[in-house]
Amino acid sequence: MTVCNFFLQGRCRYGEKCWNEHPRDERGGDYRGTQQPSRGGYGNRVWINPSQRTGGDYVQPSSFSRDGDNDWSRGGGGADVKSSDFSFSGQNRFSALASHSHSDKDVQSPTDDVDTIQKDMEIWQTSGQWPFSCYSVLPGKLSGFVEVSPEELRLEYYTGRASGDLQAYMNSVQQLADQWRSRVQELRTMSSSTRISVISELNDPSSQTSTHEFGSSASGFGTTSSSSSSSSGFGAGGFGPGSQSSSGFSFAPSKTGFGATNTQHASGFGSGAFAQPPSGFSAPAASAASFSFAGPAADNKSSAAAASSSVSAFSFKPPPGGSSGPADGGGFGQSSTRAADTGLFSAHSDLTAEELKEFTAKRFTLGQIPLKPPPADLLVV
Amino acid sequence: MSLFGANTGFGSGGTGVFGTTTTDSHNPMKDVEVTSPPDDSISCLAFSPPTMPGNFLIGGSWANDVRCWEVQDNGQTVPKAQQMHTGPVLDVCWSDDGSKVFTASCDKTAKMWDLNSNQTIQIAQHEGPIRTIHWIKAPNYSCVMTGSWDKTLKFWDTRSPNPMMSLQMPERCFCADVVYPMAVVATAERGLIVYQLENQPSEFRRIESPLKHQHRCVAIFKDKQSKPTGFALGSIEGRVAIHYINPPNPAKDNFTFKCHRSNGTNTATPQDIYAVNAISFHPVHGTLATVGSDGRFSFWDKDARTKLKTSEQLDQPITACCFNNNGNIFAYASSYDWSKGHEYYNPQKKNYIFLRNAAEELKPRNKK
Repeated sequence: MTVCNFFLQGRCRYGEKCWNEHPRDERGGDYRGTQQPSRGGYGNRVWINPSQRTGGDYVQPSSFSRDGDNDWSRGGGGADVKSSDFSFSGQNRFSALASHSHSDKDVQSPTDDVDTIQKDMEIWQTSGQWPFSCYSVLPGKLSGFVEVSPEELRLEYYTGRASGDLQAYMNSVQQLADQWRSRVQELRTMSSSTRISVISELNDPSSQTSTHEFGSSASGFGTTSSSSSSSSGFGAGGFGPGSQSSSGFSFAPSKTGFGATNTQHASGFGSGAFAQPPSGFSAPAASAASFSFAGPAADNKSSAAAASSSVSAFSFKPPPGGSSGPADGGGFGQSSTRAADTGLFSAHSDLTAEELKEFTAKRFTLGQIPLKPPPADLLVV
Repeated sequence: MSLFGANTGFGSGGTGVFGTTTTDSHNPMKDVEVTSPPDDSISCLAFSPPTMPGNFLIGGSWANDVRCWEVQDNGQTVPKAQQMHTGPVLDVCWSDDGSKVFTASCDKTAKMWDLNSNQTIQIAQHEGPIRTIHWIKAPNYSCVMTGSWDKTLKFWDTRSPNPMMSLQMPERCFCADVVYPMAVVATAERGLIVYQLENQPSEFRRIESPLKHQHRCVAIFKDKQSKPTGFALGSIEGRVAIHYINPPNPAKDNFTFKCHRSNGTNTATPQDIYAVNAISFHPVHGTLATVGSDGRFSFWDKDARTKLKTSEQLDQPITACCFNNNGNIFAYASSYDWSKGHEYYNPQKKNYIFLRNAAEELKPRNKK
């Protein structure tokens, strides 16, 4: 039966006598965010019919509940904008709804994205799902998340166990977990500065990078001081001077301490090295570094290949010898070491005139945000 | 092909281990238990292709071994052979003629196992653990495709120590599937690349991932003419995306669905979300099976967009699954998948592989 369009609009004049189908379920349920009202609905229609016909075939009685966990929601919770691709991909009879919602989506505003992010974070925190995953809301990917698969983590454990040193593994897991927790919490509570950084990140990746960098270098070590918006995702902040343990966690390179939020795919960074299975990425290290700080402009958002490749190179294994970061790490490496030297902040003498001007200004100018940490006395806490 | 027979006959499983405790949650579905399962988590399962008679199951595990069992028509499983790597085995596959098995391991090598002679030789080398391995049989070439965490996808002709081709990927390979002439690779950072394999493998398209979180597993499905037409992609967030490569109407044809979540019948209580560890398509019906960290498997009909069945919950996550070549047997492995970190890892806990009669339960639902 085709669904009655008039009924969907609430104005079917045949009522019960209508030859078309009047779906009874309500739209509601599990969809996250307000932008996809029909998602739950679709799922319901699909479920109800089969069960009515076949009855009792399904094992899980609850699966057809409105917000059924196993719902075939359209574009389920996916990035809002993206979900327009999926929503209403239901059978054609739902086209009326589809077009309706479709237009909703098209005018997605950044605040909706932010809401989605907050809800997703809340769900992520409470659901017990794997924490070491990247996260994205269309069109952009949010930084500050490290992407590690369970197999990679497990391999690190096994390697550590074989070499007798599980402490390095434990430490890195702890750091990753802390970093994740703080980033999720930050996005969930969405302070105004986080909001700004997130919105600009979603809209304009390249500029965002700089803010992030700044942030990261400053708080390289986990302090959330940075007055700037950049997220600190650092939480775990520097992966500390990861011990150069044999497990090639390459956390070791640390130096970077960058809290991951650095760049777009900061995720890469964050734990950076983490993914490193004992053998090594060596070479990529250089590119990783550069990626991070040097030419941020280059990376990001091309969502594809190039950018991501450099990004991902984060896994850093610092060039053999674990010297202080790859040369390119350049700015990064340097600033961090410098930061380390001065204990996080730069001395006035270290900064150029422009940088000093930026720091003393009320707001940062996008594109001119300094890569070095601010002097301690200029911090507005 | 004869069936296993009624499940009741195998209530006690192949080994009779749990004959006494019928409420044992390690096998709530009362499926046939494979004898001599590996000692550590099973990472992959593969049944023999139709070109050879009988059903042989290969399973790779984190105990560095690959085991082969013969599955007889009456449901009995007979361990046949075993080979070792020097690192955990992450993926296995069969050659198209069923004479060789390819195994990929964290020791950065892939080996070819000749079952007749029970010998293995190394056929591939990467700079990082090899995560996926697939056999490609094209009209004008045959090769093994390996995807690794070193971000490369390499193609080997098994006779030469150097790859025939090496393609760079944006990120580490997390999962892949091949159905000639299409190959799909899902990488870290939500990367998704489709390759076309005619003449020689080349990148066909990079796709923006329909999912928000880490990719975990991917499986290609075919259309009515048995041509690969799209894939199912699972993530760590209890969600599977069905994506067609060239759909007439992408907005309507592509969709995602949630699965492997705890019973959150009301939105008030937060639900537990589990990763989808593997997806397999039934070779005959085209319906799919998903297995997750929640210890359940589910069968779905993607065309009717309905769920066909969900199992009871096992006491361990289900890490791998596969169908045999005619779709009568569904094999799934119950072992720890590291979804909760090392704290929940119990090396003493037994790992299982179960076999289930899949002929009936995966029949597609008639579309309205």
